[in-house]
Amino acid sequence: MLKIEDIQTLIKEIDNSSIDEFTYETDGSKLKLKKQMNKNVISEEVTSVKQPEPTVATKKAETLVEDVAQPTAVDTKVIGDYEIKSPMVGTFYNSSSPDKDAYVSVGDKVNADTVVCIVEAMKLFNEIEADAEGEIVEILVNNGELVEYGQPLFRVKTK
Amino acid sequence: MSSTREKLIDLLSTHETDFISGQLISDQLNISRTAVWKQMKNLEKDGYAIEAVPNKGYRIITQPTKISENTVHWGLKTEWLGKDIVHYTTLPSTQTKANQLAQEGCSHGTVVIADKQETGRGRMNRKWYSNNDAGIWLSIVLRPKVVPNQAPQFTLLVAIAIAELIEEELELTPSLKWPNDVLINHKKVAGILTEMQGEQDQINYMVVGIGLNVNHQQDMFESEIQQLASSFKIEAGKTFSKIELIQSLLQRLEQAYQDYFINGFSSVKNKWERYGYLINQEVTYTNANQKKQGIIKGIQSDGALLIETKMKQIEPIYSAEINW
Repeated sequence: MLKIEDIQTLIKEIDNSSIDEFTYETDGSKLKLKKQMNKNVISEEVTSVKQPEPTVATKKAETLVEDVAQPTAVDTKVIGDYEIKSPMVGTFYNSSSPDKDAYVSVGDKVNADTVVCIVEAMKLFNEIEADAEGEIVEILVNNGELVEYGQPLFRVKTK
Repeated sequence: MSSTREKLIDLLSTHETDFISGQLISDQLNISRTAVWKQMKNLEKDGYAIEAVPNKGYRIITQPTKISENTVHWGLKTEWLGKDIVHYTTLPSTQTKANQLAQEGCSHGTVVIADKQETGRGRMNRKWYSNNDAGIWLSIVLRPKVVPNQAPQFTLLVAIAIAELIEEELELTPSLKWPNDVLINHKKVAGILTEMQGEQDQINYMVVGIGLNVNHQQDMFESEIQQLASSFKIEAGKTFSKIELIQSLLQRLEQAYQDYFINGFSSVKNKWERYGYLINQEVTYTNANQKKQGIIKGIQSDGALLIETKMKQIEPIYSAEINW
């Protein structure tokens, strides 16, 4: 699932590119960005946002679309067969306090009850456990970043 | 607390200062007269002054002022909150102890109280100054059947209960600094630290830590918080009974908890906003590693803080460092 920040980045990239239209589809949700009438219209499910300051569009170069769209879609299949998801909206912390080491790094082995991170909402610090046994293969969120309910935080390769 | 002790206290507290016969206690508690006598001796050790008169029975002359499992239980009008009380004169942290007891399977509503905390803590392992017996330092273990997403709302519930206590018993006007501080005259008198252990779809347990600055004099606060902290005594100009405040707090919390499960969070929202600190005022805040500015408008129906951004959009904030 794309986050609003990702979409904003995409819009910026597309604005500055010569791409006219961009579609991205995953897990039943579809994002379509289109330059039109000197405006960018974005629609994901029901939401639509208007973007001012458009650039003139020419039809060329599909390459950027590939670059932007690929990582999330493809990696899921290739490495890791389990995702640790956030049970709540909040801020992601990779350690118990700023002066402490991160709970886990890529390559670490985890058990079901290994604490992998903290998600903080309204000053409630929720220690998130791996809930699976295996190896952390990818960390999907940066320290201090906002995460949504159900957003994947880690990818785990289970045994 | 043994259930015999609990029943004895319930029985004695309903008789207040009247004599109650040893036989009656023996019958009601289903224990021998000798066992009654032993129980009375235990109460004496705890600071109760008991008069024993042949043919009349026992009478409580004075109650101890110090906190103990017995004194908190005496007259506590709750169904489940504080039925199990664990009291220590000194603990490193009630929060740490309560977490440990929760992991060991202690009951919903267990309350851990310490007269002093050597290493009382706030969030991110920040220090909570509590190495004195002027305040109320306690942690409550809860096992609510809600999804983890709802857990942060309990912090606001507790904050409201403290605000109501201040308003009704101190006759002062509190304000609530979202989400976990209680202020009087812009100074902090109480803090709440909520921690939980859960899974994707359920909460195993929650520990709600509460620190109340009760009978502090201004010079008792460490220099770092001297300008920021206050106490009930400083604000109200009198000394308070910690036992009575603990009982009042637990009764209010139990009531708020029950109401929450009947009416949901929406009824809490209005109460909170009545006490909300800096509502309609501008603050700067940092979230998602970005510095922003906005006007506090209140809270959303799920407890998130509502801030009107520069773009005149109302944004729910779940997580931010706010420069108050």
